[in-house]
Amino acid sequence: MAGSAGFRIECYDWAGGHEAMLRCGPDSGPVVVAALPLFEEGNRTRAAAVDVLRRLAGLGVAGALPDLPGTGESLVATGDATLAMWREAFAAACASLGGPVHVMGWRGGALVDGAAEVASRWYLAPLSGDGVRRELERLRRSGGAADYGGNVISPAMLDGLAGAEPGTSGALRVVRLESDPKAADRKVAGAPLWRAAEPGTDAALQTVVADDVAAWVAG
Amino acid sequence: MIPESKPEVDKTVRAVLKDVLGLSDERVAAFDDTTPLFGALPELDSMAVAGVLTEIEDRLGIVIDDDEVDGEMLETFGALTTFAAAKTLA
Repeated sequence: MAGSAGFRIECYDWAGGHEAMLRCGPDSGPVVVAALPLFEEGNRTRAAAVDVLRRLAGLGVAGALPDLPGTGESLVATGDATLAMWREAFAAACASLGGPVHVMGWRGGALVDGAAEVASRWYLAPLSGDGVRRELERLRRSGGAADYGGNVISPAMLDGLAGAEPGTSGALRVVRLESDPKAADRKVAGAPLWRAAEPGTDAALQTVVADDVAAWVAG
Repeated sequence: MIPESKPEVDKTVRAVLKDVLGLSDERVAAFDDTTPLFGALPELDSMAVAGVLTEIEDRLGIVIDDDEVDGEMLETFGALTTFAAAKTLA
């Protein structure tokens, strides 16, 4: 892990309330706003994504990781969250930051930034809302319970995911793992942390991602 | 690149088991057709099965229907790779 990145907890307001936002790095200049993978995948990858923000701070790039309604410290119940709410809140978080905003969305995180006005989007292994739903259904059947691998997910959230696609407008860079046969601007080595049975980190992957994002943001 | 031969499919399935279940290189390298998986590999619980199957789908560019998933197909490494190869190389 990289050294001190000046982590601090700030907040942002959206129409439905007030959410926490992790910040690091400089107070001015471009800001990379992270959108984590959704649900269980987000738990598995949070440490790795936060380490990328830490490394970006080390490279002089500011970072932010907003809690979405129903996640982290949010007062919204997880089971009440909808994709529309996430998109609205994420856009508000981006708008609350000074300086050009660049989204770094991993996996289903690429589905929440569509309403945000940003300078660019950088996606790691993005997937469609239908892909997310399919995996959730399989997870629920595997678990044999009403929840989805321990997550309470509303029918409204599932409806919102149906047909949802990652944004393709504006400046966009897509990076995937070498093991992923789908098209990408770059393929990088590493294991899919979002699929691992236990949360984990991969210092080599996080370094490559941070360097790639920093170069992309610098244009 | 989508694998185009049985040895390549085997290699992909081995890599998926390593990545999803967090197994060591040595452990997955020792897998052969008779190595028992579901019920024998403690890491492969019912939740992990979902991750393994989805990752295999993505890497091989196939779709696995849930009614195709049973204990037999996950019983051994050989059964899983035979199933995956039949889908991929069809």
